[in-house]
Amino acid sequence: MAEAIAKVGIISCSGEEIPEGTIARQAVRRVLEGLRPQQSVTICLPLFLEGEEGERRFARQHPTITVDGCSKLCAKQGTEKYSGRVSASLVVSDILGERAKSCHRSIRCADQADEEAVWLVAERVAVEVDALAALQPQAESGQTPAAAACGACGGPPPNGKLIVGGKSVTIDGLPLIFAHLKNKGLQPGSGSANTLLQTVKIYHALEPDQEAGYQDALVAAYQTYCGHTLQPRIQG
Amino acid sequence: MADASATEKLLVIPCSGIGKVHGLISREAAYHVADKLLPGQADTVCLALLVAGDDATQKKVQQSSCVTVDGCPKLCAYKNVERSGGKIAKGIRVYDAMKRHRGASFGTATALSEDGWTVVEELAAEIQRK
Repeated sequence: MAEAIAKVGIISCSGEEIPEGTIARQAVRRVLEGLRPQQSVTICLPLFLEGEEGERRFARQHPTITVDGCSKLCAKQGTEKYSGRVSASLVVSDILGERAKSCHRSIRCADQADEEAVWLVAERVAVEVDALAALQPQAESGQTPAAAACGACGGPPPNGKLIVGGKSVTIDGLPLIFAHLKNKGLQPGSGSANTLLQTVKIYHALEPDQEAGYQDALVAAYQTYCGHTLQPRIQG
Repeated sequence: MADASATEKLLVIPCSGIGKVHGLISREAAYHVADKLLPGQADTVCLALLVAGDDATQKKVQQSSCVTVDGCPKLCAYKNVERSGGKIAKGIRVYDAMKRHRGASFGTATALSEDGWTVVEELAAEIQRK
């Protein structure tokens, strides 16, 4: 039986005071969007630190990499205090050294130095994602980890695509959201609609007139997800 | 004795939510105020450092007038400044500013479109008027 493969969680410090915080954020986004979109997921650090047990279970459910801007290590220490030991800890100021001095806090001022810094850090993060992904259980089918995760749970595809109003939309981390809500005991069906919508809205901007369409699509996808994950599996 | 420089500065504290464009808009609005509109009179602090209970950061928010800028209904910035004893002059929600541009595309959590930068500037002006 193929096992669901946990995505690697990446938590960036917020780091508003220093350019290294912006570099950390941009590098994590680059990994999520471009370098390792199928293998990684994130959560807001302040939300995580502020969060309930559900959020704090994050690092216990995912092998986690923290990316801190400075040696205060807010992301690493916060994650380990509230959730679990991190698998890898990167510090932007250590990676960049003197390079960081020519970087900017605002992306509006970003120049070649910022762009190179983001790439350097993003590539380091991607290397850590690969190392952690290699430690995850492999599916029997020989599928890629991302495809195997989809096939294993029967849930939404790993890139979180839904069909809303006839159009394909992507919701980052949707499988994680479903897993989280299922763990909290949310039952599929129309009663799940508001909880699904409100949770997705935390991570995905919606206009009010889009909400009904998303809600219907989420209820259907969650029903499918739970239906598949609740079914007994026959091995051999 | 209180740090005089801290008492004079306006602190703009964004949520910096990493999951969507709202968080990036909040962050850039803070920088626009601190670096362009009120240089030397405004600054920001690391929200995660505040949430983590850093003493120096807590003193800063207690001794300064604060404006929080939140991207989602969780209101991480507002709640944590309030919990730290900060003096909140105004709590701003990015979504309220975005509603004035219905149908616009604001960019992503990584980069802002022209409409996204317009919202940044509107929020920054609102913060300046606080």
